[in-house]
Amino acid sequence: MKEIKIEHLARVEGHGAITVEIEGKKVKDVRLEVLEGPRLFETITLGKLPSENLSIVPRICAICTLSHKYASLRGLEKCLDIKVPEKTRLLRSLMLHGEAVESHALHVCLLALPDLLGYPNAVAMTDKYAEYVVRGLTMKKFGNQVMETVSARATHGENPIIGGFGRFPTNDELYALKDQVAALIPMACSVIDLVGPMKFPSWLDEETQFACLNPVNKKEYGLVGDSILISDGEELDIEDYKKLTNERVVPHSYAKRSRYKDKPYTVGSIARINLLGDRLKGKAKGYYDRYTSVRWKRNPLFNNMAQAIELLYALEKIPVLVDKLVDMKDPAVVKPGRDAGKGTGGVEAPRGTLFHSYEIKGGRMSKVDIITPTAQNLEDIERYIRIAAQYMLDKGEKDEAIKKQLEIVARAYDPCVSCSAHLVSVVRK
Amino acid sequence: MTHHTPEAKKAKKLPRVGIYGLTGCAGDQLTIVNCEDQILDIFGCAEIRSFLMAMSNNVEEEMDVALVEGSVSSKGDLEMLQDIRKRAKVLIALGGCACNGGPQSGRALDNNWKERVKQVYGDAKFSIPESLEPKPLSAYVKVDLAVQGCPIDKWEFLRALGRLVKGDGPIPARYPVCVECKHNENECLLFKDQLCLGPVTNAGCNSACINDNVPCVGCRGAVAEANMAGEVEMLTKMKHPMYPDRARFSYDDVVNKAMMFGGMPMVELLEKSKGAKK
Repeated sequence: MKEIKIEHLARVEGHGAITVEIEGKKVKDVRLEVLEGPRLFETITLGKLPSENLSIVPRICAICTLSHKYASLRGLEKCLDIKVPEKTRLLRSLMLHGEAVESHALHVCLLALPDLLGYPNAVAMTDKYAEYVVRGLTMKKFGNQVMETVSARATHGENPIIGGFGRFPTNDELYALKDQVAALIPMACSVIDLVGPMKFPSWLDEETQFACLNPVNKKEYGLVGDSILISDGEELDIEDYKKLTNERVVPHSYAKRSRYKDKPYTVGSIARINLLGDRLKGKAKGYYDRYTSVRWKRNPLFNNMAQAIELLYALEKIPVLVDKLVDMKDPAVVKPGRDAGKGTGGVEAPRGTLFHSYEIKGGRMSKVDIITPTAQNLEDIERYIRIAAQYMLDKGEKDEAIKKQLEIVARAYDPCVSCSAHLVSVVRK
Repeated sequence: MTHHTPEAKKAKKLPRVGIYGLTGCAGDQLTIVNCEDQILDIFGCAEIRSFLMAMSNNVEEEMDVALVEGSVSSKGDLEMLQDIRKRAKVLIALGGCACNGGPQSGRALDNNWKERVKQVYGDAKFSIPESLEPKPLSAYVKVDLAVQGCPIDKWEFLRALGRLVKGDGPIPARYPVCVECKHNENECLLFKDQLCLGPVTNAGCNSACINDNVPCVGCRGAVAEANMAGEVEMLTKMKHPMYPDRARFSYDDVVNKAMMFGGMPMVELLEKSKGAKK
């Protein structure tokens, strides 16, 4: 038996490795190994205050920091019977859209474009594609600025608190964000125009299942919802998230695995665009109509395009949110209505659906379960790596070429290995 | 961008730098990537030989400076760290996990890592490297410099890197968050009876949280010679706003919060402060 091993998956966040076992000319097994050590986050916050839980859990992942913050807030506030006013909700939505811009600009322009254009990294791309690197950095910087304005720091900001914000940004600060968007929209369009016409190999095509949160306003595209929409037509209440995720432990990873109806499924930009794309508006809708096809439901490489369309969507959404926010008065922080309760909160992180499920007793965390997008995607990532490996073997490709192709498939998912690694649920006796 | 070509780099003999991540959230490496206006200059002023999070074509050889983020949380992490230490002239711990152990060492006082792993994964057997109780880099190797923060502050990092590539040592801030907070003319949250860790926490964040009326969570680790006994005494003496005969915070409340990001140095400080109380 022969083994092809990619020991360190590059240009992703965290430690991952891919092992492909080959017997004769058949791929026998594929393992995406999550090598991040376990951090046992859910056991760290047990017995602590909800506010302390809120500070700790975003540290699961730096790139999705505000998604964790917001999902945690939604879970905690459900437990504590807190209903936040419209301005708080909209400002939280703004920070989530800022994170989407930051994360998608980073992945599409600086981590995935090198694959699509045949470079080892974004700095090397500056020979012919310098303008795309600069546009990527400019949009990413803007996303960070949105996150900084709302949360106080680009990463792990503490301004979003239970019941509201420590400080609401001034209207001047909000207008400063809106004023930049007009110059950024053509940048996002240029990236879609570059990637859109590219051909993605059809040998990778295979149907899969998709899931995402159904936005609270069912007519709009959005990143926050209380129910889960699945591609088989089912819709689950978020409290029933375990019916979607069905987690189990595997020996080659400190991340648990998810399957829906005993089959892998995909979350993230591609899932959202496939399930909600017809609700898009503006330029993003135009690109959606021009570029999406049935193949988007079969080939994960289209995730890069889905992210580029979402980058444009988020940029178009930010001024809309700012216009609503500047007309509203800053509300006071809402105090908890009780000190015990259960509740599950979810948001669409850049990489997909993120669940934070909590139980609070006597004002202390008594149960914590967090399920991240990458953990849900791991089974599908392995499946498509297997398809790619078998195809490359049949074609008689050398190991180096096979490795390169497998990394490209894995990277298209924008996997966040840090996120997936802590992935545990706590069983209390 | 001629200074990015291999020839130009050879001629200038730029310092060779490797950027690595052990177990953590990758927030310190992300902060480097977040230097959007400086990232091309960073790649220009140093020869970045290895940066797995951002590049594919990494070279693992001798280097002048290794920047390492994350805690040592598995045998794989430990082997990687020891290998980096052997190859690097200067090793810099980047961020709270590398400097202190991070939030994952927040239960270090309980000393029951193995039990908690079992709680989470049951009796599952793993084919990947064995997990270890998360510890800072200094628990295993010599660390030449600690850049604190969860995550590191972009400007503090750029100043440190700038001085290093010019052959100078960086200047760490050795005073608590309160100094910056006073400069920013914030109203002290301790006077509002809030559990603020500013007095015992490393500055360098420009008191970001307190500027927004949020008490310091201690994410930049314990400042050198922090008076933890004094902090504990001050906080546990505060009266409860609704029940004046009760304390607002118990000793455990203070420990719970201090251990969010304090890691191993905080364990030592708390031990010492117990002695001071007696």
